[in-house]
Amino acid sequence: MKIHQAGIAGTLESSDITIHIEENEGKGIEIQLKSTVLNQFGNQIRHVIQETLQELGITDVLVRATDKGALDCTIRARLLTAVSRATHSSCFPWEVK
Amino acid sequence: MWYGNFREQTINLQLPEEKYRLLAFLERQGLALDGNVEYAVAVMDGEKMAASGALDGRVLKCIAVDEAYKNSGLSAKVVSHLISEAYEKQRTHLFVYTKPENKAIFSELGFYAIAEVPSKVVLMENRPDGIKRYIETLAKENGSKADSAAVVVNCNPFTLGHRYLIEYAASRCQRLHVFVLWEDRSSFPAEIRYRLVKEGTRHLSNVVLHQGKDYIISDATFPSYFIKTYQELVETHAKLDLEIFSRYIAPALGIRKRFVGEEPYCKVTAAYNAIMKALLPVHGIEVEVVPRKLADGEAISASRVRELIRSEKLQEVRTLVPETTYSFLLSEEAQEIIRQIRSGSRRH
Repeated sequence: MKIHQAGIAGTLESSDITIHIEENEGKGIEIQLKSTVLNQFGNQIRHVIQETLQELGITDVLVRATDKGALDCTIRARLLTAVSRATHSSCFPWEVK
Repeated sequence: MWYGNFREQTINLQLPEEKYRLLAFLERQGLALDGNVEYAVAVMDGEKMAASGALDGRVLKCIAVDEAYKNSGLSAKVVSHLISEAYEKQRTHLFVYTKPENKAIFSELGFYAIAEVPSKVVLMENRPDGIKRYIETLAKENGSKADSAAVVVNCNPFTLGHRYLIEYAASRCQRLHVFVLWEDRSSFPAEIRYRLVKEGTRHLSNVVLHQGKDYIISDATFPSYFIKTYQELVETHAKLDLEIFSRYIAPALGIRKRFVGEEPYCKVTAAYNAIMKALLPVHGIEVEVVPRKLADGEAISASRVRELIRSEKLQEVRTLVPETTYSFLLSEEAQEIIRQIRSGSRRH
């Protein structure tokens, strides 16, 4: 799946995460992460984002995330929604086209 | 305090009653309602306003939380709301101007500082590498940095005075960077102003034209709601804009000199120029003030051109503007702009 437009999901409230994605053609997956628990869980958050993108077959994307201590399931859900908004695909389950 | 009681409510600024409510709330927080606001939201605790925020283009404004509700996460609620509103309008690159003491709050909300005027204002953006990418692109597009200078102009519209300034500057450096302010508070829209400068400077091979977007801050878009006096506002705007110019833009393009037209009329611009003359040399950038070109003993200025348009003396404009600007004024495209100037709905 290719990302041409920007998409965003989530809030800045406690236990949530805001995920913005945009085009990054030919430059791979780039993650800019800001988190209140960066030292403790930064790697885990990046891992969840990477894994979810891989499942969706997205190879080039810029992800900008502002995390307020979200759980893995929340991170996944916010990322999936950001992708579906950017690609205008509201289909469920989130199959790779 | 029970969090679930809060609800977000858009404020219709067209309704005097709602607008007054927001105004009164902001006043209690020591803020004013900025004149340029297109969208506003409040967080309500029952019937009481607990927090507010507003949007103006890509700038988040008037974000305030009542003292009694501090540390309840309301600023996060407001900013989240404004961000999603902006994204729905396809605006993804956002900015906020705030007092330096609030920098930490906005940093936690995903904003990154670009430049600061100590104890006055800090400008932040919602991406960590926004300005870095901007100056990388600038540098890449411009190759060699040899002996460069800059002018920043609004050109509302482009006159013989602007052309004289640009010709004068271009003859005194190897490469001249011309930044056209990109804001839509002027009678002539940014695209048109840019186009007229481009057409009117085509004969100058060493001029590079830029859209003065995002990081060249126009006094028309600089927010005024948290600064008390007019003098302080003018000064703070100038210092912030010049900080960004000297710290990022000038080094990226190798700019060693800035030319500016002498300002005999507008006090704001005159004050800006005075601050520029004091500040830029500290960063190794020379400033030269170029006297205005005269026509019939009077300085040529865009405001004089607009005044003539307003009083339906388009013929007289001919001696003040290049042929390219004049033929634009006669075109079909210009008629709506001329109508607006005549109806006097804009100050600039």
